[in-house]
Formats: sequence, structure tokens, C-alpha cells
Amino acid sequence: MQFALPPRRSPHPLPLSRSSRMPSYRRKQLKSVAVLAFAVLSIIYLLHYLYSSSSTSVVAPASTSGVVIITLLDRQRYSENYLKKIVANREDYAKRHGYTNFFASVSDYDEVVGDAPMSWAVAPATRHAMATHTRSAYFFYLAPNALIMNPTKSLKSHILEKGRLEDLMLKDVPVVPPDSIIKTFAHQQEADVDLIITQDSEDLNPGGFILKNGEFARFFLDVWFDPLYRNYNFAKAETHGLDHIMQWHPTVLARTALVPQRILSSYSSDSPGASLDGTYKDGDLVIQFHGCDDAEGRDCARELEPYYKQWEKKTQSD
Amino acid sequence: MTLSRSPSPHPGGGWSSPGLIPASGTVSPNGPSPGALSPGTPGSISWAAAKAKSDEVRGYPSFSTRNNGFFSRQRHKLSTRFPTFRRLSPREYVDKDDYGREWKRSGSGRGLLGALRIPIRRGRLRLLFALFLVWIGYLFCWTTIVQAYRRSPIGGGSKFVIILGSNVEGGVMEWKGAREWAIERNSIWNKKRYVKKWGYELELANLLAKKRYSHEWRESWEKGDVIREAMRKYPDAEWFWWLDLNTWVMEYDTSLQHHLFNDLESHVYRDITAYNPLNITHPLPEFWLDELGRSLEGDGKADSLNMLLTQDCAGFNLGSFFLRRSVWTDRLLDIWWDPVMYEQMHMDWEHKEQDALEYIYQSQPWVRSSVGFLPQRSINAFPPGACGDGDNPVIHYQQNAHDLIVNMAGCMFGRDCWSEIYYYRELSNWLGRSRWERFTDSLSDVYDRMMGKERDD
Repeated sequence: MQFALPPRRSPHPLPLSRSSRMPSYRRKQLKSVAVLAFAVLSIIYLLHYLYSSSSTSVVAPASTSGVVIITLLDRQRYSENYLKKIVANREDYAKRHGYTNFFASVSDYDEVVGDAPMSWAVAPATRHAMATHTRSAYFFYLAPNALIMNPTKSLKSHILEKGRLEDLMLKDVPVVPPDSIIKTFAHQQEADVDLIITQDSEDLNPGGFILKNGEFARFFLDVWFDPLYRNYNFAKAETHGLDHIMQWHPTVLARTALVPQRILSSYSSDSPGASLDGTYKDGDLVIQFHGCDDAEGRDCARELEPYYKQWEKKTQSD
Repeated sequence: MTLSRSPSPHPGGGWSSPGLIPASGTVSPNGPSPGALSPGTPGSISWAAAKAKSDEVRGYPSFSTRNNGFFSRQRHKLSTRFPTFRRLSPREYVDKDDYGREWKRSGSGRGLLGALRIPIRRGRLRLLFALFLVWIGYLFCWTTIVQAYRRSPIGGGSKFVIILGSNVEGGVMEWKGAREWAIERNSIWNKKRYVKKWGYELELANLLAKKRYSHEWRESWEKGDVIREAMRKYPDAEWFWWLDLNTWVMEYDTSLQHHLFNDLESHVYRDITAYNPLNITHPLPEFWLDELGRSLEGDGKADSLNMLLTQDCAGFNLGSFFLRRSVWTDRLLDIWWDPVMYEQMHMDWEHKEQDALEYIYQSQPWVRSSVGFLPQRSINAFPPGACGDGDNPVIHYQQNAHDLIVNMAGCMFGRDCWSEIYYYRELSNWLGRSRWERFTDSLSDVYDRMMGKERDD
């Protein structure tokens, strides 16, 4: 009953409302102090933010989005004529999309690789490219036995575009086919990925991979290139080294995305060991003549020829 | 019954009209119950005063003894100064009823109450009382408060976790004797005391001999697993300090923040050539590495330091080292043990993770920029007997410099762990004496000397 009516407002102003009687100059002073304090605080916050973000060290600067294509030229294994074609192929692709090429000679890394097979040079070469182009965001390594067949397809629209990788990633799949008990993470997010790679029917395929610039890249390449792996006599050298790292070290696996083979490295029909639906079809980005350089009865230059002509025709028609 | 109604203004908005006492009419004049004699009502005051007066007129023999207590004396003085006061005390009347039993208590009680009731004195006494409370609080709760503060995020103590490897190979490989138990007990007590003082966390790692860590089964090394577990267990902590069991914290008064972390950069050296017993090539000369990989000092920022360790005369020493929670640390812990490396090196890597870390530091450039070295004595001083018997000021514990930690490294090989620990425990206690203890010690010292002299004479 007491609360049946809302309490009536007192007609007289409360004696407590002193603020209305505050002199205006005082109010102005207060205001300016508040504004100043806010400004100072925000500057401090900004500085702190900048400082702390810069401390995360060598992560690629956000503004850069450049792609560097790394090609290792092995003059002992391939003829000069063959390599010329490969270089032309890379240069054309880079020119179309504004990418940068990084050509390195395997012999440069002779001393570093030591007694191990020279195919290990992929790791220091990639590191070298990263050191040379520190501001580039992505490094696309493509083995010299691979040819870019669809030059109009940019890496961005093909893989790197936001949301694209989410569709491509193979989750909860054995890392090393066909039946490794270690599987790629089922809950992996696109944002966590620093390394994009494919697998054939037996192993991971280091003949074509995309590595994001940053601390993970340095870590991954250094581990991969560890002398104890190099000297272990893995049957397939760096390929088995990679298999091993992926299966034993979850910090590497957690930042790796497996994509279907035809995305990055379709095998030519002459190359055995392609994964299911891993053989080259028209329109694929890359064809790889896997094993053409060390299997008997195969010749890289001869295998390359028809596809190279096809590619030339394509570039001319554009 | 008489005061069942509140004398204050009624909630309905009414007020008591002047001259109309709320209780008037409800109190019957012929019912002289003590409760009715409320001091607030002017009517009863004069009555109580009159009663009190008659009380005194009667002249009890106890009059002279009544004001013996401090409070009552005070009250007496005051009451003589403020004559109205006596009128305000209704108790006089009550006391009268059974005076013979109660006079003492009521006398002092009245004094206290009365003193509090005087407006001028009240403030000071309250202040005194509050000060007294604060003093008591200081005596009893101060350390608790300080420790609670240090544990809090503001104090920063919860950022540090000490991981103490205990029960080494316990269970299967060794039969623990009394000495081993004593080492265990003392070492744990020592770390507990230090941790409690500064609000850090202590994680006792039970390094029980497990099948998975035995040679044929080697799945990893204990240290890495234990640190990872601790990181999971203390999600708010930033720095994890591994300590071997055979270590002793000498200075309880030195906090880690003050000792190292407030100004990390000035304590750490990253250029290993400054002290390089392993002759590690530094900086790396490889042309294919980036600037960071080839740099002498990493990126030079304290933020990028993720591991702090010391080197002894033979290289890296992992008896006492720090790891910071970071992606880098996750990677290191992940890569530290690898089956392919272990398979090739287990014969050479006598000191397990220590040798492996040395190897990784040399062979993998990504590691270097985040590893900082501390001067050995700052967290890992050795006793004589480890790394030479001499008194090497770089390696061995210096009493005058008040080194924080002594690590009885290698005491199980031909030395006596327990006697070393015991020695440093006593030394630490002696160094950390309170002022009073120092004073009495010096007194007894002087006394001894005098006695000695007398004897000499």
C-alpha cells in the first residue's frame, strides 16, 4: 500500500546537487584534464601495443603479401637446355602475378650439405630465400622437375585466398600414407597454417610446398636440416626426414596443412606413386615428373618436352 | 515491552511533537525497571541523577577503594570536571541492588564505558584503540598480507613456478637410505620456504624410474615432460625454474624479480663467446641464414629471451635453468628429444637433455636468439669440489656476495651430498640471521672472547 503511488519528486532541488553550481571555469579545467588524461592513456596504450607487437620479432610485416618462387637448379643432374626451359617457365609465372623468383644453384650449398644427398639443399635454399627477401609473406618452393602448367592461376586465388584453404585442407588424414597412426589435426584452422604441402601415395612430397614467412619457417627449416637427420641415411633423404618430423613433432604438424596432391604437385602419368587422383589432368597448376632424374629408363628432358610445348602454346595464346 | 515502539520518527512520515516523548504514557511510574531508565529521556535523567546522588550520600565504605583502576580513576577525574556526566549514568542505580557482589566489575566497566562516552576523549581513545588493533594486526597478519600480495597478479609472484626434481630414480633403481631421505626432506623444505615467502608456486616433480624413460623404452626425457606438465598445471605462470634436488636456496630475502627479472637484459649475455667452454662457433657464419640467425646478440630484446641457463666449466648446466612459457619453448620441448637423434647419440649424450640441448644449440640456428646465459653464480653457484677444488670466483659460491643458489652438482660421484647440503643449510641460516640474533651472537662472541682471555691469563 505504501508503494501504490510512485514517490513524488520533490519540487525543490536537492541540496546535494552541487555540481550544477560548479563554476564554469572549474568545469572547463576538469574537462581539459580529462581529455589530456585520456590522450596520454591512449598514447601509452598505443605505444605499448606497438612495442609488444614489434617484440613478436620476425613475423612477416602485415603489409607485405609478396610471393617468392624458389627453384633449385642442379646443373649436374639436368642439362642446361632443360634448366633454361624451367627458368623461362618460372619467370613467366612470376611476371604474370608480380611474384619474385629466387634461383639458387645446388652447388652453392655443397659445403653445407656435406656428405648427405644434395637433395637436402632444399632447406638451406629456402632459408636463403627468406634471408634475401625478408619482407615477402610466402615462399613457394617448386622442384626443378616440375613445370607450372596453368600460368593464369595465381597462388592467391588457387590456395592463399582467405577461406580457400579451409576447403582444401585434409583433416584427420594419416600424415604418411597409407596408414600412419599420426593423423593431421581434425580441428585445424586456416589461420594456424604456416606450411602447405601435399602427399603422394607413400610420403609427403617436398617437391612443392608453400611456407609462410615467420618464426615457424625458421624453426621448421632448421629442424629439417639438422645434421643428425642428414646423416641418418634415410632411404629417401629429405623426404623421409620430413615424414619423420611430421610424425614425431606435433608443433610442426600443428602448423601444417595437407592439401590434395593435384593442388600443388600433380604427378605426370609416367611417374609412379601418385596418390589417389594425384595424376596430372588438364588445368592443374603444376605437373611434376617425379623420379625422372633418378629412375632408370627415364629422361626428364624427354618427358618435359610435350608438356613444355603445351605450356608455350598456352602462354602465347594469352 | 516498554520500548517495543521505536522512539525515532515513524516510517509513515510522522514526527514526535515537541513535548511529547514517544515513550511517555507507556512507562508506568511505579515500575522502576532498569530498562525504563533510558538515558535519552529527559524525564528519567533527573530521576537517575537523584538516585545516584542518594547513592553517594549513603556513603559506602568502599568509596575510597572504588577508584583504584586506571579507568575508574580517569573517570573519576573526568566526572569531577563534568558534573553533568554523573547524571548520565544510570548504572549507579542498578549496582546498588546487589552491590556486595558486583561492585568491582561494575566499577571498572562503568569507567570504560564512561570514558568512551565523553565526546572529546572518545576520538582519541578510539584512535588509540584503532592503533592498537592495527598493531595487533601487524603482529599477526602482516606476513600473511604481504604474502597474499606477492602471490597476487599485482605482486607478480604467481608468474614463477619452481620445479624441483625429487625422488630421482626412486622406486626401482635405488634403495633410499636415511641420508637420501634427509636430502629430500631438507631440499623440499628449503624451496617451500623460499616459495612461500615470495608467493611463487612449487611443483615437486617425482622423477620416479619409469619404464617409458628407461633406455630400451626411452620415449622422451623426464625434464621436458615434467616442465610441459607444469605449464599445463599453472596456466598463469610465465617462468618455470627447474631446480635439481641437490640445490640449496641460500638467500630467502632475494626475490627472483629483484634478482633477475626486473632488469633481465643487464644480467644476461647472449653472445656465448663471452664464456665458451664448448668452443661453439658463434655467430654462425652461414651465408644462407638471415640476419637474426647470424647475429651475435639475437635481436637484443629481453622479450625474446625464452630460456635462461648457465654454463659451468664443462658447458651448459641444466641443474638450474629457466624456461618461459612461449611458442618457442613449446617447440624446444618438442624437438629436444627425437628418436632419430637419440638412436644415434645415446652413447655420447651421457647427460641426456643437457648434451642434447648443447647439440641443438649448435646445430639449429633458430634456437640461439632466444637463449640467454646467466653468469653461473647468479643461479647456479657450485661448491668447491665441483669444477675444481679451488675458489674460482666465476664458478664457486661466494659467501660475501650472497649468491642465491648453491648447486651440489655431481655430489653423488664420490662426494657426500648430505654433508654438503647440511653445510650450506647451516651457512644459509647463519647468513640470514635476524638483527636480534646477530646482536646476541655478537654478545656471546664478545663474552666468549673475554672468557677465553681470562682463561688465557
